[in-house]
Amino acid sequence: MDVKINKVDNKFDVILTGRLDTTNADQFQKDIEILMEGENPDITLDCKDMEYTSSQGLRMFLMLQKSVNARGGKLVMKDMKPQVKEVFDITGFSNIIKII
Amino acid sequence: MPDDNYGLDLHCSMILDDYRSSLAVFEQMKGIVMEAISNSLNENNLVVTALESRVKTESSLAGKLALKGHKYRELSDLTDILGVRVITFYSDEVDKIAALIQEKFDIDWENSVDKRKQHALESFGYMSLHYICRIPESIYKDPAHPEVNTFRFEVQMRTALQHVWANMYHDTGYKSGFEIPHEHLRSLNRLAGVLELADDEFSRIRIQINDYRRKVQALVKDNDFDDVPLNGDTFKSYLDLNPFSTLNKKIAAINQAEIQELNLMFFLEPLKKLGFTTLGEVERMKAECSEYAYKLAVHQIGKTDLDIVSSAIGLQNLCITYIIKHEGSIKELAYFFDTLNGPSDYNRQQAERIYQQVNKLRLQSIK
Repeated sequence: MDVKINKVDNKFDVILTGRLDTTNADQFQKDIEILMEGENPDITLDCKDMEYTSSQGLRMFLMLQKSVNARGGKLVMKDMKPQVKEVFDITGFSNIIKII
Repeated sequence: MPDDNYGLDLHCSMILDDYRSSLAVFEQMKGIVMEAISNSLNENNLVVTALESRVKTESSLAGKLALKGHKYRELSDLTDILGVRVITFYSDEVDKIAALIQEKFDIDWENSVDKRKQHALESFGYMSLHYICRIPESIYKDPAHPEVNTFRFEVQMRTALQHVWANMYHDTGYKSGFEIPHEHLRSLNRLAGVLELADDEFSRIRIQINDYRRKVQALVKDNDFDDVPLNGDTFKSYLDLNPFSTLNKKIAAINQAEIQELNLMFFLEPLKKLGFTTLGEVERMKAECSEYAYKLAVHQIGKTDLDIVSSAIGLQNLCITYIIKHEGSIKELAYFFDTLNGPSDYNRQQAERIYQQVNKLRLQSIK
């Protein structure tokens, strides 16, 4: 999973590319550390090039959502491929994270 | 001594001087008192409209001394240099606040006054409870500043409506000695009567609502769902019973998945849009659709290695099954997702995908 973060003040535009699974979840967690800091973050995860997420990936997104909630911020995921969106739908995670 | 003594006589000027040198003490007292009251409100789960305080300004004190300085021997005779005001929503809460203030501070009963009880049967006007207090050493003690415990301060307690009236009355200029014509005074006092009535009505309505809540909660607790309308209050009580946990656990067991608990209150509007009006109807949907809601989940996640689900999955699949069972179209299913997750193009795709799965599974037998 390749992670590119563009930060302007408290606004983060994040481009996710590739697959997120147990083999790279630890690295992903390190890559998004910057998103876990600061008040009122406004984070957009661009998922148009994200191919797949496993349960481990869902846990990472859940952890990020909880952290953002605790800091009074906003998190949205956008432009998901159908196969990725399906993972969120069938696990009930579409109800946890805002997907546009 | 500053040049400006506001034209006060020697006695009043000395009190003003004392005030200037004691200002830091009053500011310190303000912090102590506000923290003590604020903590006490939190500990007792009391929400108030406002908690405010001020240390009287020099010019305001000078004005007061000019008018009635002869009444005071020394600065400590003035009890309102530090003033605190607690404004409540309901009239019965004023007494609760008063009890907390009594518990926290030493009360100078001789100078405290309950203006609510001062009115004759046929008169209306200023309604507020004023306590004159001292900070007890149990709250704060500093041998270098014993005045913190000897200076008195005033706590005013009243409802929001009483506060509005008091401000309006103040705005008329009574403090400046301006004499208000009798007819206007009568209008103001008549308004005080109306607000007193409104305060009582607010309290009465709150008591009725709380009674209703208790009654509904009892019905929910007794699983007497048919008589319980579906609304925010009742749905919350219903969710406290974890009505979907059996289905969720069954779905989670498909992949030995962990369940991420979620507050399901956001299902209230979608359920209403589906036409549910009582908790009894929601219960019947659960009884009728659980089997297929589970089958749908088996089909969806059984072929994956996903081992985490949210606790929304059971109710979501119940609603999907219910819509299909009642001849709902793709459009209606997409509308359900619109109300659940917010409008999005994804919702149509999700609805189409589910219908494909249903056809593949021959879940039409749901119907």
